Parts: sequence; C-alpha cells; structure tokens
Amino acid sequence: MAQSTAGSEARGSLHRYELRRKLIWLLFLLPALLIYVRFMALPLFNSLGLSFYQGTGLTPERFVGFDNYIQLFTAPLWRDRFFNALGNTAVFFAIHMLVQNTLGLLFAVLLATGIKGHGLLRTIIFLPATLSVLIIGFLWRLILNPQWGAVNQFLKAIGLEQFALPWLGDPTWALIVISLVSVWQWVGLPTMFYLAGLLTIPEELTEAARVDGASSWQAFWRIKFPLLLPVIGIVAVLTFVGNVNAFDIIYAMAGARGEPAYSTDLLGTFFYRTAIAGEHPVAIPNMGMGAAVATVMFLILLVGVSVWLLLTQRRGAEM
Amino acid sequence: MSKYIVVLLVVLALLITSCAPPAAAPAPVAEPAPAEQPAAEAPVVEEPAPAPAADEAVSLTMGSWRVDDVAQINAIIAEFNKVYPNISITFDPTNPPDYNATLRTQLEGGTGPDLYYLRSFATSRQLFEEGFIEPLADLPGLKESFSEASLGPWSAADGTPYGVPFIAVSHGVYYNKNIFQELGIEIPTTWQELLAAAQTIKDAGYTPFANASGDAWTIAEIVFMNLAPTFIGGYEGRQAYLNGERCFNDEAMVNAFQAVADLGPFVPDGQEALTYYDSQQLFLMGQAAMWLGGSWDIPVFESEAPEFEWGVFGIPAPEGQEQRYVTFHLDAGMGVNAASPNKEAAKTFLEWMTTPEFAKLLANQLPGFFPISNNPPAPDNVHAAEFLALNEGAGLDIRLAWEKLLDGQPDGYTLMQDSAIAVLGGDMTAQEAADALQAGLAQWYEPAQNCQP
Repeated sequence: MAQSTAGSEARGSLHRYELRRKLIWLLFLLPALLIYVRFMALPLFNSLGLSFYQGTGLTPERFVGFDNYIQLFTAPLWRDRFFNALGNTAVFFAIHMLVQNTLGLLFAVLLATGIKGHGLLRTIIFLPATLSVLIIGFLWRLILNPQWGAVNQFLKAIGLEQFALPWLGDPTWALIVISLVSVWQWVGLPTMFYLAGLLTIPEELTEAARVDGASSWQAFWRIKFPLLLPVIGIVAVLTFVGNVNAFDIIYAMAGARGEPAYSTDLLGTFFYRTAIAGEHPVAIPNMGMGAAVATVMFLILLVGVSVWLLLTQRRGAEM
Repeated sequence: MSKYIVVLLVVLALLITSCAPPAAAPAPVAEPAPAEQPAAEAPVVEEPAPAPAADEAVSLTMGSWRVDDVAQINAIIAEFNKVYPNISITFDPTNPPDYNATLRTQLEGGTGPDLYYLRSFATSRQLFEEGFIEPLADLPGLKESFSEASLGPWSAADGTPYGVPFIAVSHGVYYNKNIFQELGIEIPTTWQELLAAAQTIKDAGYTPFANASGDAWTIAEIVFMNLAPTFIGGYEGRQAYLNGERCFNDEAMVNAFQAVADLGPFVPDGQEALTYYDSQQLFLMGQAAMWLGGSWDIPVFESEAPEFEWGVFGIPAPEGQEQRYVTFHLDAGMGVNAASPNKEAAKTFLEWMTTPEFAKLLANQLPGFFPISNNPPAPDNVHAAEFLALNEGAGLDIRLAWEKLLDGQPDGYTLMQDSAIAVLGGDMTAQEAADALQAGLAQWYEPAQNCQP
C-alpha cells in the first residue's frame, strides 16, 4: 500500500515535471510575443479603429462609423479609383503569377540539371533581386525612354519603328511593362525556392521511374511536380501577399498617381495617396479613409491566405 | 507536419500584419523619401531653448520644400545675422513631394520647425485654421510692404494674415536663340505667329516644344495654367469664373484648351512618357527650340549649360487681342509655428522679411524666384531680369486652379491637368475638356452649379 502511494506520488511529480517541460516553450515565446503584440498586432488594430474616424492629421477625432467604407464603395470619386486600383492590382498579381512563377520553375529545372555554367546563371538570375527597387525603376525608365532609351533605339534599328511606343506613357502598356520589370527583378526568388525544392527530391525516385521506362517529361510531371506542390503553394502565397501590398516599383516608375491616367494605380499607391501624401498640389492626407483602404487590403489578404490554407490543409489530410 | 504548419502560420501571421503598418505606424516617415536630394548640409539642430530674454542667443529651425536652395538661403540668413547676431536659423528642407505630409506630422507631434514655408491658399489655410500657424495681424511692415492681393494667398477667410508673402514664380516660353537665328524666326507677337514659328521649326527637323506629359503636373502648371490667363482674360476673367458669372466651359475656356491642342503636333515623339527632366534636357541639348516653362529653372539652365544662349518671351495673345497676360504665381509665404517657444525671435525674422533689403537679397540669391513686395528691386541676373520684364504692360495673375478651386473634390487642378493631358495627346477635344472641367467642378463648387452660360 505504502509502496503504491509512493509510486503514485512519484508518478505525480513526474507528471508535473512532464507538464512543465511541455509548457516551458511558452516562456520562451513570451519576449517575441510581447514585441509582436506591441509593434505589430496593436498597430494593426489601431489602424482598424482609425478607419471609423474622420478628420485631418494623424489622429482623426470625429467618429463616423462605417461612413469611410460607405464612401469608399459608393461615392463615384472614391469608388472608381478604388476599383480601378483593385483591377490593376489583380492584373499585376496575375502577370507575376503567370510569368514570374512559370519562368522561375523553368529556370530552376534548368539549373537543377546542372547545365554548364549553372553557378554563373544562378547568380545572374538572382542578381536583380539584390538591387534597390528605386535603382531598378530608374534604370528601366532610362531603358524605356522613348527619345533615347535602348528598347526603342533597338526596335528602330531592326526596322520595327511602329512598335517603338512610349511604353510608360501608354495606358494600355504601362502596367504590363512595369509588371514585367518587377518580374524581371524578382524572378530569382521563386527560382531559388523551386531549386531548393527540386534538390530535396531523392534521386532514387527519378531513377526508379527511369528504370520503369518513364521519359524525363513524364518523370517531371508525375514525380517531381507533385512533390514540388508545397513549394509552389508557398511561392504562390508569397506572390499574393507581396503583390496585393505592392507599391514601390509603381512609385519608382510611374509616380504616386499611377500615371498615365491612373492606369498603373495599385492598391498600394492608392493607399499612399489617400493616407500619407494626399493629392498634389493640396496634399492634405485623409488618414481615416486611408485606414479604411488599408483594412480592405488586409481583408483581401486574409481571405486569400485563408483560402490557401484551407486548400493546402485539406490536401495534407488527404495525404 | 503539424509543427510545420504552426511555424508556417506564425510566419504568415507576420507577413499578413506587415501589410498594414503604413497606416498603423503613426509616422508617414515610414515611406523614405526617394532619391533624397543632398540636404545633408543642413544638420538638424534640436535645441530646446526656454523662452529667452531679448538679447539672449536663440536658435530657430526653418522648414521648407526647397532642397535646392540650401546655400542661397544660408547666405540670406547670414545677412540677417549681421543685423541680429543673436538669432541663429537652421534651414532644414524636406523633399518637395513629402513636405506637406512631413510638416503636418511634425506640427502634430510638437516637433515642428519654428519658421516654415507656407504653400499658398488651401494647404496653408487649413493649417492656420487648425491653429498651427501664428496670426500676424500686428506684424510691423506687413501692410506697408505688400498689397492686399499679395497677402490674399496667406490670409484667413476674415482677412487675418498669417504668412509673409515670400516667393513668386513667373511663367513664359523659353527659346533657343541659336535656332531662332538660324531659321530667321522673330519672337512671335501673336499666338498664330507662335504656331507658324513652330511649324517652321518642325519643318527644319527640330522639335518645336520640349514639353511632355510624362510628369503630369508639368502640363497643368507650366503649359495649361501658363497660357490660360491669356485666353480667359487674366485676373478679372478668373474672378468671373470663381463668382459664377461665367461657366467653366464657356468659349474662353474652350479657347484655352484649344491652345493646348494647338501645341499637340509640336511636342516630342513619345511625349506621353517623357519626364520634366527629359524636357529640360531636350531643350538644353538644342533638340527642342522652345519650352513652356517656369522661372525657377533659370539657375538649373545656367548651371547645367552656361554657354547655352536662351531667352524668354511671354505667351503671345491671339490675333486681335491687345492685352498680354503673364502667370505670375504667388508660390510661397513664410509663417511662424504657433507652438514655437521662440515666437518673438521668429517674428523678428518675418519683420526683416518685409524690408527692401531682404527683397533685394532674395532677388539676387535666387534668380527666378521673385520677391512679392510692392516695389520689387530689379534683379542683377540677366535672365531673371528678362523674366521680370515680361510683367511690364501685362496683366498678372496666379495659376488658375489655386484660389478656391482646390477646396473640394474633384479639385480643379486635377480636372485641368487630366483634361489638358488628354487634349495634348489628342484623346479629347477642347470642348470636351472644358465640359469635363465644368461638370467636375459643378459637383461641389456652388458658383459653377449656378453659373450663367
């Protein structure tokens, strides 16, 4: 009996120890959590709160309820700019998704085959991502300049004068061209993700497939591609988050108004004009409305990422 | 796998929340000024000086959007210090596009400069109404040195002045003397002669006008609002629009937009994507013969191409119209931070700004920026004097959109800008442009709603 009590006591303390050991990680999380809450979560909620206020300056004081949102979605001036920016952002994202991530996959497969000079190629592909967006914007503005830019000089030299357009001044082309510049800059990132993903796929799998008579085309689509899907998912969600928030490349190449005629205006530049810069020449920012725009952007991101999580988790359950 | 998802979730949460901080973080400084100009020469002096006695040393800071003028303003301050050695002033400019937002942040955070440049009309009036600018009703010298009209852009609705009129800029047509000589072109005296000259220049293989719409504001400020007074009848014409006696799509306004359309065939290829800087270069390199421009570029042209021979003429009136007009825009005033601990010292500087000595100094330090005082001294700089001479016999007015038309949405500036760009590019007729302006303003501007067509 005594023995059994002692045993249960020992078991109890062991249990407590186990419990403590299991919960100790919370303690280690605490500093990061505090910083995160103070500098990220709280400002986020502040911003949500700000979107219910009106007034000039940094701390609008007049509570207006959902008025900012109603204005944003119904007043023609705000509504047209907002949906224009939303549409442009969708195009910007679509071009990145299609061109950047497809090219990235292509480059990664190429590099993974270990072709001659792949080290150099890898550097070249990644190099633009290390440069400042402002420098990239400036360089491409020079390259695309209709008077003395390299692109149009080249087109004229090979007799394609009718295609020497003022690229950044043409409402049909400006957004596409700027998106492609951004793709050019960032294509190195998905390439690196995919390359890392491809290198973790065991050689045995492809070898076995080859033995079974699969062509390298089949081996890629049936074996490597499915194993790469998680990486593709991550790249997709990073592209989504990065592009819904995009601002810098437009600011560098088309200015804060998304010239010409708002044809390159993204949610990011729309937000910047509304909340921070104001419209030239008055330049009085509207913080409350800006916060409303930021909140809508946040909701778009939240929905997008949640959908992605839902999809990937269901896949995980199936597997 | 589940651990992986937890990590991923945390990472994602971080990523997601990082989307909002521009609004959340209470500092527009979050967006660093692009291509920051070398304003480093002006070190920020943070000296909390508790209300000093009259002869005690005081340091003031001066906020501005003129990052190009550090040396010149410091020279002016040095002259001020010869008279008032106790008051030291640090010139601390901000990149122009960020100035309004930065200033507002500073003022609300209680770190605003003691003295600062004031934009004319709506922008500074709002700051005044919110109590950030000290009223100057009793500043000695103000009423004597400046006319009612000059004080207007920095006065409250009830007429209380809150800024000392500081800088005006003029507008005109720059021309390349060599090309004009080579082609035997005389300075045009009518709008029709100007267009004929442009045709001659184009036939000779040059670009007639360097203007381009890649930077939208240039079309608004140095093209449309440069030539508009000539076609709408200057100050009186503008007031007639502002008080509803004329509609914004009347014949005169259509003519002003038509003048922009007239320039359409004579601007550079690919003008849609050429920036302000590109235009300057086209003109400096002798590829373009003329440039509708502002006087603030005198120092730029003089320093970039000292050998280049250029002159300037005013926008010529259309045939049959005697009166010439010049857009002489009241651009900057100077105000005192209402929360400054050194208001008296700051007012001493403002008082000095009303003296003829200051006007003379300003005219010579900053050629192309003109003092606004009643009897402006003739500048020593040849080009600046040439610009100022355009005012003789001409009707003077400020830029069309500034007074009242910026007070609502959609604002007159943006409407004029977007319409003028469309007209220049041939995407809109002059009549359509004027109709768009009238329709846009009629959404909020009462006189435009009740105007008599």
